[in-house]
Amino acid sequence: MPTLGWQAVIVLAFLSIWQWGWSLHAFAPWAVPDLFDPYFVSKPSEIWSTFLQLGCLRTDEGHYVSWTSGEFGQCLARSDNNLWLAIGVTMRNTVLGFVTGVASGFVAGLILGRSRRLSTIFNPFVVALNSIPRIALAPVIILAFGIGDASKVVTSWIVVVFLVFFNTYEGARSVNTDHINAARLLGASEWQVTRTVVMPSAMAWVFASLSPAVSFALIGVIVGEFIGAEHGIGRLIIESEARGEAAGMMVAVFVLMIVGTVLTAGIRRLQSYLLRWQDQHQADAT
Amino acid sequence: MANGSAQFAMTRLSRVDVEGLGKSFQLGGRRIEAVKDVSFQVRDGEFVSLLGPSGSGKSTVLNIIATLLPMSTGRVEVDGQPIISGKTTPNVGYVFQRDTLFPWRTVAKNIGYALELSGMPTAERRERVAAAIERVGLRGFEDAYPALLSGGMRQRASLMRTLVKEPQILLMDEPFGALDTHTKLDMHDVLLKIWEREKQTVLFVTHDLGEALTLSDRIILFSARPGQIKETFEVPFARPRDGVALRETAEYAELFSHIWHSLGEEFIKGRAT
Ligand SMILES: Nc1ncnc2c1ncn2[C@@H]1O[C@H](COP(=O)(O)OP(=O)(O)OP(=O)(O)O)[C@@H](O)[C@H]1O
Ligand SMILES: [Mg+2]
Repeated sequence: MPTLGWQAVIVLAFLSIWQWGWSLHAFAPWAVPDLFDPYFVSKPSEIWSTFLQLGCLRTDEGHYVSWTSGEFGQCLARSDNNLWLAIGVTMRNTVLGFVTGVASGFVAGLILGRSRRLSTIFNPFVVALNSIPRIALAPVIILAFGIGDASKVVTSWIVVVFLVFFNTYEGARSVNTDHINAARLLGASEWQVTRTVVMPSAMAWVFASLSPAVSFALIGVIVGEFIGAEHGIGRLIIESEARGEAAGMMVAVFVLMIVGTVLTAGIRRLQSYLLRWQDQHQADAT
Repeated sequence: MANGSAQFAMTRLSRVDVEGLGKSFQLGGRRIEAVKDVSFQVRDGEFVSLLGPSGSGKSTVLNIIATLLPMSTGRVEVDGQPIISGKTTPNVGYVFQRDTLFPWRTVAKNIGYALELSGMPTAERRERVAAAIERVGLRGFEDAYPALLSGGMRQRASLMRTLVKEPQILLMDEPFGALDTHTKLDMHDVLLKIWEREKQTVLFVTHDLGEALTLSDRIILFSARPGQIKETFEVPFARPRDGVALRETAEYAELFSHIWHSLGEEFIKGRAT
């Protein structure tokens, strides 16, 4: 069977057990753990219909929303944290935190990676800061920046920046000295060496950190929204939890999964373009 | 043989002046004297080889001249100016033994690198790069990344990356050391053609006597560590040379065996230490 076939089987098996597993509980309680209770984990069918409702794709009465009658717009206006707005807000804050985190981590990593002196001076601080679990700072950040978007961006920035910093730093440190010497002898200034040799060779290291950085950025935003927010998917989860609606939480979780996948796929494409020389390189080496 | 042209050579301007050069390394508390009291000159347009066994300090001397290494004692002047370690001397090109092409740049972009740094307009740069690619027979590989090239092609690209900004003094550290015999002979032809047209001043490091004889006007023989100059040989073969045909001649065989004995002694000494 092809890979895709196996993957489809796994997904179907998983969804089936989730959907119908609990029905067996009445007959054979020992075979089905209590955790399967739809009260906790909901069911695929319920999650789907909740998704349609939260997304204003189907009304509470059960018929499908007609686009032309303006029902969709009215439905959206009814909730100030409707699904689409929540997705938009969470994604925007994630991207902002990610971009600022990557940019500042990259620059800091390059500077310390290129300067032995600066890296010696800053080393203890970096180690100390890095040993703080960044998420522990989220409440402090909410307190300082309020419950608006800024606090989410900062939380997400702080979890991303170290990751990218360390990778860039290692990358800048491990640049082949022959390449640096060659560039110098061909007339490159210090800055030109950094731009044309250090940056491209560190790029592989930087990209290795970007996929985890996307997940981290998303985690940062969601935790921020848990603690205090007006909009966003994290807020949606908290609201559903308060109402004891497992399906609502699961919708949010699935949406996060999709958002994360989309962002990661974007990074992959950028990577395979920027590191196209490496594909050939590796193909050649193996 | 060594008459008119050698006489003329003596009057030519000296481009590289090495005077009492010494270099020692600190290695785990031990002091290693790599090079000791080396003095020589390379005159304008002259092709000089530094020949010696492994570890005799040839690369060390070359790297000092290239400002990649500071010297311990002595004095080096390029075009009458003392060199400053760490500050590259304009007009000097360097070709490495190890492959130092930038793997993230295509062949054309590697070759155009120095021109790009100097801010040459794109159109002019393209033209110069295309000409360089043509000269070493790399047409069709402009957009290939170095990983896809054979060793010989990589070394051609390396050579042109250095030559494209037309340095008048060329330092080469066993540039063909990693190539197989046939590719190496090809590269000798490529290099000789370029040199015969442009007459750069070349200082060429090798431990391959045949290579030194094929290419050079003069061979400076280094002794085993600490590297010192043991002997200097003029290579009087007529130019332009054909690397393959030259090896069949009697005068080549004679000079080869003469230097071979001297070199052999150093190899044995080098092994003993
Ligand atoms: N950075 C260094 N630290 C310590 N010792 C060094 C260093 N570089 C070179 N040496 C020593 O100096 C001596 C001369 O080295 P060098 O590389 O100049 O020799 P070489 O003649 O170029 O040899 P080869 O033909 O193998 O390239 C060697 O004994 C080497 O061990
Ligand atoms: Mg060497």
